[in-house]
Amino acid sequence: MKLIRSDRKALFAFMAPAILVMILFFVIPVIYVIVVSFLKWNGISAPAFNNLKNYALLMKDKSFSRSVINNIIWALVAGFIQVPLAMVMAIILSRKPKGWKFFRTVYFFPQVISGIALATLWRAIYNAEHGMLNGLLRAVGLGAAAKDWLGTIQTAFPAVLIYWVFYIGYYMVIMMADITTIDTSYYEAATIDGATDFQQAIYITIPLIKKTSLLTCVTLASVMGLRQFEQVYMLTNGQPANTTSTIVLYMYKKMQNANYGIASASAVILILVGVIFIICIRKLFEGRGDRPPVVKSVRRAVK
Amino acid sequence: MSETRLRPALKGKELVLAIIRWILIIFFAVYTLFPLIWLIISSLKTNFEFLAQSPFSLPAKPQWVNYFNALAVAGLGRMLLNSVFVGLLATLLNVVIASMSAYCISRFRFRGRERIFTLFTAGILVPLNALMVPYFVIINKLGLYNTYGGMILLYCAIGIPMSTFLIRGLMDSIPMEVEEAAYIDGCGFFGRFFHILLPLSRTGIVTAATFEFLTCWNEFVFANLIVSSEKLRTIQVGIRYFTNQFSTDYVSMYAAIVISIVPSILGYILFQEQIIAGMTSGAVKG
Amino acid sequence: MKKLFALVLALALCFSLAALAVPASADGEIVINFPSIWVGTDSKAPYLAEMIEAFNAENAGSIKVVVEDQTDYQAYRDKIRTTITTGSAPDLCILDTTFDIKAFAESGKFMDLTPYLDEGWGANFTDGAFDAWSVDGKVSILPFEAAVFTPIYNTEILKAAGWDHFPATYTEFFQMADDIKAAGFNVMGQMAGENGWSSMLWYSLLVEAIGGKDVYADGLSNPAFVEAAKVLKEMYNYTFDGAISAGAGDVNGHWLNRDTAIYLNGPWWIANLYKEENAVDGVLLADVCEVATNPSYEGGKGEGGLVTTVQGFLAAAKQDDPAKEAAVIKFLKYISEPERVSQWALSSGAMFFVKYTPSPETRLISQKVTEVANKAPYTILHVNGAFPTAFSTEFPAAVSALVLGEVDEQGFVDQLQLAIDMA
Repeated sequence: MKLIRSDRKALFAFMAPAILVMILFFVIPVIYVIVVSFLKWNGISAPAFNNLKNYALLMKDKSFSRSVINNIIWALVAGFIQVPLAMVMAIILSRKPKGWKFFRTVYFFPQVISGIALATLWRAIYNAEHGMLNGLLRAVGLGAAAKDWLGTIQTAFPAVLIYWVFYIGYYMVIMMADITTIDTSYYEAATIDGATDFQQAIYITIPLIKKTSLLTCVTLASVMGLRQFEQVYMLTNGQPANTTSTIVLYMYKKMQNANYGIASASAVILILVGVIFIICIRKLFEGRGDRPPVVKSVRRAVK
Repeated sequence: MSETRLRPALKGKELVLAIIRWILIIFFAVYTLFPLIWLIISSLKTNFEFLAQSPFSLPAKPQWVNYFNALAVAGLGRMLLNSVFVGLLATLLNVVIASMSAYCISRFRFRGRERIFTLFTAGILVPLNALMVPYFVIINKLGLYNTYGGMILLYCAIGIPMSTFLIRGLMDSIPMEVEEAAYIDGCGFFGRFFHILLPLSRTGIVTAATFEFLTCWNEFVFANLIVSSEKLRTIQVGIRYFTNQFSTDYVSMYAAIVISIVPSILGYILFQEQIIAGMTSGAVKG
Repeated sequence: MKKLFALVLALALCFSLAALAVPASADGEIVINFPSIWVGTDSKAPYLAEMIEAFNAENAGSIKVVVEDQTDYQAYRDKIRTTITTGSAPDLCILDTTFDIKAFAESGKFMDLTPYLDEGWGANFTDGAFDAWSVDGKVSILPFEAAVFTPIYNTEILKAAGWDHFPATYTEFFQMADDIKAAGFNVMGQMAGENGWSSMLWYSLLVEAIGGKDVYADGLSNPAFVEAAKVLKEMYNYTFDGAISAGAGDVNGHWLNRDTAIYLNGPWWIANLYKEENAVDGVLLADVCEVATNPSYEGGKGEGGLVTTVQGFLAAAKQDDPAKEAAVIKFLKYISEPERVSQWALSSGAMFFVKYTPSPETRLISQKVTEVANKAPYTILHVNGAFPTAFSTEFPAAVSALVLGEVDEQGFVDQLQLAIDMA
């Protein structure tokens, strides 16, 4: 929409609070972080300019590159496994099977349970001795596969990742809300045409939420994957041998060491990785422009 | 969609699909309910039972005293109220500011628009742990250390990028035609915001509000950092009352967690009907 | 909608205004703000609270100590680090060895306590307590709570394995370990999860036994660190399953469940041995426990030294107002009064760098630990305390890599050295 002269003031007034907050709580602090990333500083003594040395050290540190890789895997799994799962459940529940309200509420529970509790529970499930997972394996005669899931290099990171993939409640609720706004006449028309539920999901629901809630959820989930900290911190603290570390956990440990320079440099790298990620996701979703035939025909009819 | 749809008897492929559907529904229900049940059972054990025996056994005798500890010793009641108060106000303030800016970014072309939005998006990615020092300084300089205002402002602020992102995403999907019609009818800048965009983007606003409230509710680092008085403590600080360096009173902590979950689940259940009702009566997509 | 908007904005405005009007403290009363971790479930909490209440009552109208409860240790450290960095250090706080104490002492941000200590207050503290922590002969960070680390063992398990005494050498120790394992018990609890605490303590005992008194003199280049790593790795064959991912809860749980022969932790844990909750068939855990000394290592330089640490330092921010400085000192003197400390030690089981006569009611195990400690010819810090913080944050990663065979013993030491160099 074009901007009318009289709207200028209003626009300014509307943007002002957000811009103010952004400058105060993001621009200035991030500039601070960028400045510190070039310093050698322990928070107490006088800081010294350290050139690009912090970044050079990060590039050389194997546990940092491992953290970056872990975060990228995490973001991909979140965006392209967790969210699609959530989407499937959103589509199923929006068809209102028996008890759908109950399930919709229940799926959301893990979001409100404190992270400490979830972490202790999953440590108990993955535990080597009396863990539930090993118990199940033994019960079905696979006792040989029982192991210390969080203490084995090959399984620790997958274990941390997998348990969390199935907590889909938040994304499911977002997409369900979006699906309920779809005009029912589409489905009615499709049903008359003899389309099955499955076909309706593929040709009506998914295309219609793709650019709205699906894009939102994929972006959101990926960003959460990149910023992952609390769960890893409490579940494994990055162990064994730093194989489950993430960038924020790495950064946090450097802060504990009072090495603010390297901590800030890793924060800067996280932001860079994230921006690249978001741009890629946008490109991916903008890429395919064509709408499937059912929608096109229905759309034409509606117009 | 109507509640009662006529369903013919299922056969073949459809039957398989129905079975898969129910397996999924039940799997996820078990998966998400399990932590809650485990938590409640664990909160009724003694520390000895919790530590020394299998974490999946039942307590010999339910220890209601843990709940007494959580309520009396840690003073959870007040903390719950603080959390609700801070969370609600921060959320309100947050979605108001975010929806105003999302409206501008989504509906108007002005110079620096994309640059501003990029700034907002990058804000989502900032690891807040890295900002402890600057945030502490800012809150102090504003004279908001150890105040509700400080917490509300900080929580509102850290959620602005996310909320703007979510609400803009929804506003973008509302066709321009709707607004243009109103514009021709003489509806001004504010009118279009209040009467058209705001109602139509309710889904996005509710999504953002839920996310923001959960952020406030679960936030711990800054709740501890920028507040020192017991009177202002939030529930997450209370939950950690039972941890200390070398011996955590796990069972009382779990009782505290259960207590902290109850209002959010109740709130969600009560609020959810309103949310969904609001959403469905709003926009129609197409 | 519009009304709601206006309401919210108005509320926001009110809040920012209300927030600006921070209430000032009462006239003439000096408020000492004290973020403390000795609160909540900490065993030192009840008596400290009593002392503060009494102190505030005695000085009603002139001084008031206000405690800020901090129970989560990590969050507390983050907060203290942030406040000190931003130049708003609290009037009084508790530090531990995860902070760079030397840098703090050098920073000049803390009150110089030397003049007050020289006036006679210093005589209350144990000899040499300040040596390792003073800078240019000045004490600004006060070592206060002490900890010693001596193994405690379950006599019933040793008996079941055919042992009536605790081994004097590590060679003998591993013979016993084989017997205990054969009898179906765990020898000790190791953990590489969380902060790797138990393994860190065992490693410290080994480093002492192998490297002796001056093991820290040339940093990690002393060969004792490689040798000790070898033994530590061996110990992982004698702990419970899943020790690599285990945390303090797992180690404590096994010990309480009485399936583990030896337990290693600081004196604050002794109170748990006496808890009814942890009794089995009416027998307290303390009744079947004995205190051991660190065995010696064949070919090692250790001579029965004691592994210790400063569990808590007290640090007071530099004050511009002499009256406030005097008030802070008054409070510090109050809580380090030997008679009070004696009571404090009795009620909590903790140890202090204050000379005091232990109460005759002191728990037996605590008495035995003190006895063992007093016999030691010298003390060394645990490894976390002796090296910069980067060592302790990297330790769990290095131990798990060592035990899983990702690195060899030399690689383990190199990994820790690298972490220290980076910081």
